[in-house]
Order: sequence, then structure tokens, then C-alpha cells
Amino acid sequence: MEIVHIPEKLPFPPHQQPTVDVFAAQLEPKLANTLVRRLNQIAPLETLRHVKRIRKKLLQAQDGKTELSVILCVAENNNELCNIPNDVQDLITSYQLSPFRTKVCKYAATSKEEWEEQCKLWPTSYHPPTYNIDGITGFSEEDSQSIFSFMNAAIQLAKSSGRSVVNAALIVDPSVKRVISSACDQTCSWDTPEDKNVLKTCCFKQPKAFNSNTDCEGTVSCKTLHSNGFPVEEKQLYAHVSCLFPWGWAEQQAHMGSCRWHPLRHAAIVAIESSAARDRHLFPNLCDIQDKPVDTDNVQSTSMGSLAKRQKTDFEKVKGDDILDSCGEDSQSLSARPYLCTGYDIYLVWEPCTMCAMALVHQRIRRMFFAFPNSNAGALGSVYRLQGERSLNHHYAVFRVMVPEQVLDTAVTC
Amino acid sequence: MASPEEAYSDETLAFMDLAIQQAKLALDSLEVPVGCVIIKDGKVISSGRNRTTEARNATRHAEMEAIDMLLDKWQERGLSKYEIAEHFSKCILYVTCEPCIMCATALSILGISEVFYGCANEKFGGCGSILSLHLGNSESHNSGGIPQGKGFKCRGGIMASEAISLFRGFYEQGNPNAPKPHRPVVRQETQ
Repeated sequence: MEIVHIPEKLPFPPHQQPTVDVFAAQLEPKLANTLVRRLNQIAPLETLRHVKRIRKKLLQAQDGKTELSVILCVAENNNELCNIPNDVQDLITSYQLSPFRTKVCKYAATSKEEWEEQCKLWPTSYHPPTYNIDGITGFSEEDSQSIFSFMNAAIQLAKSSGRSVVNAALIVDPSVKRVISSACDQTCSWDTPEDKNVLKTCCFKQPKAFNSNTDCEGTVSCKTLHSNGFPVEEKQLYAHVSCLFPWGWAEQQAHMGSCRWHPLRHAAIVAIESSAARDRHLFPNLCDIQDKPVDTDNVQSTSMGSLAKRQKTDFEKVKGDDILDSCGEDSQSLSARPYLCTGYDIYLVWEPCTMCAMALVHQRIRRMFFAFPNSNAGALGSVYRLQGERSLNHHYAVFRVMVPEQVLDTAVTC
Repeated sequence: MASPEEAYSDETLAFMDLAIQQAKLALDSLEVPVGCVIIKDGKVISSGRNRTTEARNATRHAEMEAIDMLLDKWQERGLSKYEIAEHFSKCILYVTCEPCIMCATALSILGISEVFYGCANEKFGGCGSILSLHLGNSESHNSGGIPQGKGFKCRGGIMASEAISLFRGFYEQGNPNAPKPHRPVVRQETQ
């Protein structure tokens, strides 16, 4: 398996990178130092810092001899040789150079492939990106293993209803490799707070125990796969994946029974809600900036009230779990309380829609891993590219974890 | 997008004033002051205000609060999905600040008919400032029978100065929910 970073900008195909024209000239090796020093003064390459001033070409035919060329200056549009600045022109005259026009790449390379392609035109320097988010420059073996196992847990969760595949989300604290919250899509149905038997399996540490909490109705029966394992028709097969078909909620069959449904309860939204509930539960008093304590369970509107009740029930079920044991000490120290999801990662089976992707910006997630792109409504490269919107007040790094589509076939492991 | 205030009917201004009242409730609770009301058949059927600090959930925007209240109410009354979709298609939202990318997508998913907003949201507005989700995405690709992004009518600039002055008031008092390096919270005597 492979983990691919999805950058903020759509990269240019390596062989189609934008170029600018420059004037260059061959020179004697012994002149190189003098000329480069002089040219850096009179015609510095301000906007082309990634471009090397000198090109060294190995001449095969002449038995290891090298040929040096130097960039004299940038060529303006429609510029004839006579438009070369006077200082440079003087240099050309005094050293008897023969200027020629050539192309160099306009932007610094963002990948090794781009760089290799650039150097075919004219050599450039390449600095691999040094962001402060782990993973953009590659993952250690240990980190990769942990990423694959969390992604696998998300995929199992997505198949856990056993009837139709949905999207699933896992919010993880990577510093301790602990699942903070997990959820499936609840757009088709979600269990009412009164249904306590279902809530029994809720637990923060073991995503596998979530299956019956996120039961979705299975109206899609078409699971026909081609012999190569790919779906006959994606629409039918993944019709219950909320982020793939956000606008399809009204057409889905209503669920019989006591279950509720909510067109906006996509997996990521529900996972954020659970992590917020965990925060309120583990650190009940730290938001008492006001003089009076805030009772989150009672102040809420009716809809929030019923939600809070459900979440409270969830937490009663985890008593005895070591998260609660550590709660005592954690709540003593201010530093242990998370600010929203700062520092946390999220694993989603499918690339999120703009609603979920923006919700995760608001909640300050640090890294996003998804397995399958979303060509209908994907916000992180497929339709939109939210990670490249510089105006947003927070950005997370986006990665695709490459897994074969066959892992979604419920028959394989269920 | 901003039009002179005279262009708006008394009714529009009255509904936006109700949204401003909701935003003031948020401010009183030390929340980012954004408020909204949802109108159907000329009547207010839901309202909401930002509740992100209290919920410790930065997605609990005013619009989400008002939407959840409606879905709860309509499902309790036993309305079907089809009927609820019908209802949303007759709803008009008045909100003090341009819906963000998340809320604009949510409004499109629900198929709300029209949005009136106060001030623009230059950082993460989803109705023209950063993305234009109110235009729908019919142009983007062939739907092949799959329901696609629905657009909604959208007008901004209604009582924008009132909405902005509420924000100013909030940032003067400080954001209690912000991480440490931010400006300290000014303790205020509440009522």
C-alpha cells in the first residue's frame, strides 16, 4: 500500500511546466567565476532563484570535455538581442560572447519528477518541501503501518452494517495512536437516544465495536462485481455513501421503525460531534470563562438536548475504560485539553464533500487520510481543492491511502 | 452583491432584524455573534445562533442549529423525506453573515430556496466570497441521473453594518475559546 500527498495546487505535468525565455552564452571555464560575479550584480535573476546561472554540458563526442553556458539576463517579450541592458551588452562585447535565446522553467520544482524534467531545459535547484506537518516529506515505516491499520479500521467500519457500504470516519490522536471518536454516515438512519441496547457497543478505543451503533438501512442489494472486482454501477453500489451523493437523501427509501434520519449527518460531521462530546465530558469545567458554569446538557435547544442525552448515554457506557481513568489527571492540567481537534488526524473511506471538508477546517484537524476519491462532490482535489484556498484560517494536509477497491466488497471479509 | 438598503422591503429588514437579535443572544453567551431565522409562508419557523464555544464543536453554526430544530420538529410530526424536502424548498434563510462553505453546502443539500445575508464572509464564505456553492454545480459534469448540487437565490449586504458591529463587539471582548496566543478575554460583568 502507498500513501500519496495531495498538494494544495494541481501540479503541472512534469513535461508541461511554464517557462520563461532568457539570453545565455557559452563561455570559457576560466571566465566562469568572474562573469557570474559580475552578472549577479548587473542582472540578478530575482524571480528565478531556483534556476542555476551556469549550465555544464558533458560533450560525449569530445571525450569527456565539458561545455559551459551562462544566463546573461531574462528576455523580455519580443525582445531582440539589441534590447539587452547596456551593462550586459558591455560584458558581451568585452568577452566576445555570442548570446542565444533559450528557455528555463518559471517555477521551482515541487517534486523530484518535475525537477528532472526541468533540468532537461536548463539546470535548476530542487529543495524538497519542508512543511512542519509530518508525512508530506514521507512517512516512517512505523507511521505507515499505523496509518494503514487506522484506514483499515475505517474501511471495516464502513462495511460493518453488513448491508450497504457507507462512509466511515475515525478521528485519531496520532501522538498516542488512540481513536478519539469514530462514526458512520447517519443520513439514512440513526438510532434514537432511547435505544440503549444499541449504544452498548460504543467505546472510544476499539472502532470495531461500533458496528451496531451505526446501522444503516440496506436498500441497495446490487453488489454485482465484474470479474476484475470493480463495480458494475457505482451509483447503485455506493448509493448510501453520503459524501458521494449528498443531494440524494430525499430519494432514498424511508426507514421503517423508530430510527431517525438526517441529510447532514455525514460520517465526518458525526465524528466531530462525538469528539466534541468527549471533550465536554472529560473536561467539563474548563470552559467556565464566564462567572457561571455552563451546563451544556440543559442550555441547549431541543434538538441539541436530545443529542446531548444520547452522548451522555454513550459516556456512561465507557465507564471503567482507561480513558475515564486518565480523565482525573488530564482534567487537572490545562495543557492536556485539546482545542477542538488540534493535532488530530481523520481517516475517511471516501474523500469528503465541501460540507465535511470545511467542517474539518473549522474543527482544526491536522491531517486527513482518505482511501477513495469522490468525483461527484469531492472537496480535496476531485471537484474542489479546499487545502489550496489560502484565505481559510486553517489548513490540514491531505493524503490518499491507496487501497484496492476490492476491500469494499462486503463478501470478502464479512 | 451589496445593494443599498432602500432596495429591501420592510419585511426583509424585519426578518433580518430578528436574525440580528439571535446574533445578540450569541454575543451575550460569549459566542461569535451570528444569528439566523428560517421563514416559510411568511412566518418564522425556526431560529438559531452560533453555539460553537459551548458545544466545543466549531460546526455548530447558527444555520446548523436552526436546521436541526426543523428536522427534529418535522420528523416528530411524522413527515416523510419527500414532504420534508418539499418544505425545505419553500424556506428562506435570513442570516447575519454570509454562510460559510460548510453551511452553504448544507443549504444546497437541503434544497433551500433563498438566502439573505448581512455581511460578507471574506475568509470562508461559500456564497460568492471564496466558493460559489449557491450557484449549484450543474455546469461541472454530466449527472447521469444522479442528483446534483442545487443552487439557491442569494442576496447579501442587508443590514451588514449592524452585523459587522456585533463582530467588532465580540473581538473587543476577546474570544474565550481561542488558543493561548490570542488576545486575552476581557472579563465583563454579565447583567
